[in-house]
Amino acid sequence: MSKKNLAIIGVGEVPTGTYPDRSPWDIIYESCIAAVRDAGIHKNDVEGVIAVAPQAQNQLAGEISFGKIPEELGLNGCRDVCTCNAGGASTSNCLRLAEQYIESGLAKIVLIPHVTVHSTIPVPDLINFFAKAGIDLQWEYPFGNTYNSIIAMMTRRYMHDSGTTDEEMASIVVSLRKWAALDPNSIFYKKKVPSVEEVLSSGMVSSPLHKRECNVLGDGGGAMIVTSAEIAKKMGKPAAYKRGESARYFSAFTTTRNNDEFVNGFRDSTREALDDAGITKDDIDIWNTYLAYPVCHPIFMEAVGLCEPGQAGKMFMNGDTWPGGKMPWSTIGDAVGRGHTGSGVSMATYIETARQLMGKAGEKQVPDVKYVFQNTSGGSGMNFIATVWGRE
Amino acid sequence: MTDYQKPIPAIQPWTREFWNATKQGKLLIQKCQDCHSMIFFPKKVCPECWSDNLCWQEASGKAQVYTYTTQMDMVEPKFRADLPYVIAMVDLEEGIRMTTRIVNCNPEDVTIGMNVHVVFEDISPECSLPMFQPADETLRRLPPCIDECESLATRSGSPVSPDTYETIIYDIGGKNGAVCTITLNRPSKYNAINYRMAAELIDAFRRVRDESSVGVVVLTGAGEKAFCTGGDLEIFPSLCEHKSSLNWLSHEGLDVQRAISGCEKVVICKINGHCLAGGLELALSCDLIYARESAMMGATEINMGLLPGWGGTARLPRSMPIFRAREIIFSGRKDYPAKDMYDMGLLTRVFKDDEFEEQVETVVKNIASKKPEALRMGKEIMARSVDGCDIETALSVERNGIQWLTYAPDVQKMMEGFRQKPSDLLARQKETNLRSDNK
Repeated sequence: MSKKNLAIIGVGEVPTGTYPDRSPWDIIYESCIAAVRDAGIHKNDVEGVIAVAPQAQNQLAGEISFGKIPEELGLNGCRDVCTCNAGGASTSNCLRLAEQYIESGLAKIVLIPHVTVHSTIPVPDLINFFAKAGIDLQWEYPFGNTYNSIIAMMTRRYMHDSGTTDEEMASIVVSLRKWAALDPNSIFYKKKVPSVEEVLSSGMVSSPLHKRECNVLGDGGGAMIVTSAEIAKKMGKPAAYKRGESARYFSAFTTTRNNDEFVNGFRDSTREALDDAGITKDDIDIWNTYLAYPVCHPIFMEAVGLCEPGQAGKMFMNGDTWPGGKMPWSTIGDAVGRGHTGSGVSMATYIETARQLMGKAGEKQVPDVKYVFQNTSGGSGMNFIATVWGRE
Repeated sequence: MTDYQKPIPAIQPWTREFWNATKQGKLLIQKCQDCHSMIFFPKKVCPECWSDNLCWQEASGKAQVYTYTTQMDMVEPKFRADLPYVIAMVDLEEGIRMTTRIVNCNPEDVTIGMNVHVVFEDISPECSLPMFQPADETLRRLPPCIDECESLATRSGSPVSPDTYETIIYDIGGKNGAVCTITLNRPSKYNAINYRMAAELIDAFRRVRDESSVGVVVLTGAGEKAFCTGGDLEIFPSLCEHKSSLNWLSHEGLDVQRAISGCEKVVICKINGHCLAGGLELALSCDLIYARESAMMGATEINMGLLPGWGGTARLPRSMPIFRAREIIFSGRKDYPAKDMYDMGLLTRVFKDDEFEEQVETVVKNIASKKPEALRMGKEIMARSVDGCDIETALSVERNGIQWLTYAPDVQKMMEGFRQKPSDLLARQKETNLRSDNK
């Protein structure tokens, strides 16, 4: 078991929504102040700021990477600042960097913020960004590939290989939306959860992917305050302690991705993270996965051995993964349920992991949570970062 | 080829040979001469051993579909005209996988494991795109010679016919099937017009020409909120691209107008709710416009710094005094009550809300009882006349039109009866007059 010395002690969020009238800085203020207050520290206790790089927002990315957050928030104790970009895996890397800041003695307490305001990005820029994100400009893009189409192709192949039905795939969305309906920070909070039939009757975007199986772009922000495990213990407040981690890199693009390596990478990195934490998969109380689209949920579930091959769809359909089910799964509903805030869904998932372990998850609180598995992934599935978090 | 608007591959110095070969119809695979790895995507050095001793080998061009998707929606404007199209990953015989399109076949015929052969689409002086078509020649379909309507249908999804309409309802009814009702059917979207609806409207109004029983077409909106509020927000991203924007006006826009105004039936617009922007322009293309008293109307395009682009600037000034038309277009108001529009000269009639359905039905029933050929001729003669030809030409068109109608076999048969027994004509006229007086 490797030494892990990191704990999340405070979280803050601006609910995912549409805020064309709010500047990104307005959201940064709100989420960061909330996180500092939640941690019960003074703003000047923050000695490092490691921000998630905002995707598709060049001006903001420049401002944040050139140190504007500590200045704007008056973090007078800040000793250094940087941004980190690995797409959807950025937050995991912010946490790793924070561990280094803390381990090296540079900082005792680090702020990790994220913000995305899609609604104010000019439409041509958004189209341009999402048309090319994770898609090779020479070997994929000229054929009319889109982010949805690469996921659709992955979905088609998975369904073909596993025998998973349209209804079972749609039930993944139903499961994710059931959690989202309980989450005050989701765009679908308190909204009617669609039935399997309603998912399948939504328009076809890129067969076999329907509209309700794709993500809605949203605005929002989140922030975490992290510190060393020792300091967290001394503070004597509920915290989420990092217990284990592993990762695999696959490929930048789906065309060049070897499916066996991909599935084995899910399995092996998860096993290594569990070994690192000194526990087994049976000890996990919540599988808090961030996999962006429905298809990787069953692929992951089967790869890790949480069900028999080809049976994951049934787990989502029969309620095992729902609130109250035997295997609480993606308890903010992943990007499909939360609304897509660029790299922000991974931040939101970590915040949820922390909330569940701190006992602050409200209606979606799973009883007596000791261990949460959480993953992130970047680009078009370039990698898989598996982490395990505990209450102690 | 020089007109190619879609993205072309971002060629690197070490991939140029691959693309040069595509111009000769060859598919090359990069190979390491030291460790014998097959390399795709082509690299500057071998990704296995970092050797720069690389060469090219011509592939057989035979492959199998590993997976695929039919792209139906949500693509960049540059690819919208191609919809629906099949993107696939194919495994070449030589053991590499590439992303491509499956072409020259019905998307429904593509399957995982299907054998395919490479074909090249010439897109620029520098390269052709390697696409794949079914190896089985019986599955091959040549690219269709598409007319405007088919092109629109393709752009907007599945083929267009009354059985597959998604955004409108096409219903033939009334006595002897004399009335065709076309209902804009996206009530949750205020019946806003998207690519699909444009294609379906064009198809429906062209189709109804051949319905011989139909004399009148009623165009209305589903739900109680709106007749139509114009272009759907979902089409706006596509308008960011200049050519795509022009096409929305000159393909979809012009064709919808022409399909309605050129429809050889009398088209009655039934405005049952908000009628704004492109919705108003749909109404302007019709022959008669009846509105519910509570309907609000207007041309809102100027609020975005634009002008009505589906015939509004041409038809509004031809439909009312120009000083009033200018106010509607320049003000951008969306709250003109139907009664105001009527007073300004635009509408045929405005009916109270609770009488609207019944009153319009009476009008429709009456006009639908008239002879379709006479209605058709009347529509055309008056259209030519108001288009601004000189009075002598207008009178000539009228004369000859009526003469044509008079020599229709059924009219002649009736005339023959009167010729043989003139008293019948007299008696019939007398009876008609009496019936009219007693009403």
